[in-house]
Amino acid sequence: MRLPKFEYLAPKTLREASKALVFNNKGSVLLAGGTDLLVQMKQRLIQPDRVISLKTIPRLSSISEGKEGIRIGALITLHDLISSPLLRERYPALVHSAKEVGAYSHQVMGTLGGNLCQGNRCRYYNQSVFWRNARPPCHKAGGKVCYVVRKSGQCHSAYCGDIAPVLIALAAQVIVVGPEGERIFPLKKLYTRNGKKPLALKKGEILKEIEIPSPAGETCYFKWRLRDAIEFPILSLALNLEKNGEGKIKKTKIIFSGVGPGPVETVETEKLLKGAALSDPLIEKVSHGVTKEISPMYTSTVSPAYKRKMAGILLRQALEKIMKMK
Amino acid sequence: MKRILQLHVNGETYEVLTDIHKTLLEVLREDLGLTGTKRGCDLGVCGACTVLMDGKPYLSCLTLAADAQRKEILTIEGLSQNGDLHPLQEAFIEKGAIQCGFCTPGMILTAKAFLDEQRHPSEEEVKRAISGNLCRCTGYVKIVEAILSVANHK
Repeated sequence: MRLPKFEYLAPKTLREASKALVFNNKGSVLLAGGTDLLVQMKQRLIQPDRVISLKTIPRLSSISEGKEGIRIGALITLHDLISSPLLRERYPALVHSAKEVGAYSHQVMGTLGGNLCQGNRCRYYNQSVFWRNARPPCHKAGGKVCYVVRKSGQCHSAYCGDIAPVLIALAAQVIVVGPEGERIFPLKKLYTRNGKKPLALKKGEILKEIEIPSPAGETCYFKWRLRDAIEFPILSLALNLEKNGEGKIKKTKIIFSGVGPGPVETVETEKLLKGAALSDPLIEKVSHGVTKEISPMYTSTVSPAYKRKMAGILLRQALEKIMKMK
Repeated sequence: MKRILQLHVNGETYEVLTDIHKTLLEVLREDLGLTGTKRGCDLGVCGACTVLMDGKPYLSCLTLAADAQRKEILTIEGLSQNGDLHPLQEAFIEKGAIQCGFCTPGMILTAKAFLDEQRHPSEEEVKRAISGNLCRCTGYVKIVEAILSVANHK
């Protein structure tokens, strides 16, 4: 499959890249690792006039330690992230989630920023142009129907990233650069939960860095997929749990991927856990409760009912793992 | 739109006048005639198009040729030195780790990058490293054996 024709730009600075993006916002795309973008272009899901390659912008792939925590450049490759002794020691769950992305070469090519900004997925959308031409286009492809939820006025494609759930559980912030300068906000707010336009980036804005505060409590990541390599998650779970001095749960974050149009936080389940001590009956209760709190759609080849059931199982596994850690 | 790209492939520098929207795979095969790099799924799933850039495995079907400039590209054609096969190539022959041979270039290059990074891997680590390279003849056992035999000799 050939790529569609486009104009190629390789700006030397982020400011230049941002300007180029403002100049033709609708027709331009940013290229980082390319493992998500070029596939979409080959499948003619997007046909940009311009590709702005970020690969030649220096100093965007560093890891630095500051007062606020650790800052990671958005262009760091997943392979470099996995190989960093500092991140391995401080944020093992983050490294684990990056290891779960694709295979060796995808990790060498793919960047952290690209992974966080990856497109939402759906079994009706992520198909070849030949396959999709059999019926009218869906919302995400510019049409007026949704094949996942019939008669729905919106796109239900699912966010399937591996790393965002862990970073949200770790309370990470993102730094974006745009025509009006820099702004910093929680990673959670990067996701609009609108399948058609999943990212809350304004015109000309580019993800520059990710800042992670010092880790508190225990964090883990569980991914469930069809085979143990390459695949996107059917669903996955990042859990962060912080206990107080008496062994009671002080704070917890439960973030799912693959079950909604953005990373999904199960707030009700988090409330159930707060203030309690981890025990088998409690784990049983919340892992049952969480199956009712999420509302996955039929966006992949597995049914929503199966995803709900697996969400409970993943949460139980994660809580049991943390309980055993003491 | 055509542009002149400068590519460093297998120790030689090439100047190619080519379409800017071509992938590295297309330029290697069509413009440089290096057909050892295979086109498989063309969507980054099968690993048949793997080449090394600065020693790391890249899927050439998902790399723009323009982005491969200023990198040292190694394809399967450049792996043997003065007519002597690379130890991995020898091991693949010795262990019979080739059936149809289509996945072999990608498999060997991925294995090379991996062994350069990790001198003495476990069987499990080898399997994980080549998990992005599909072999539909299902000869994985011999491929893993071949890679391990090179690792143990290093």
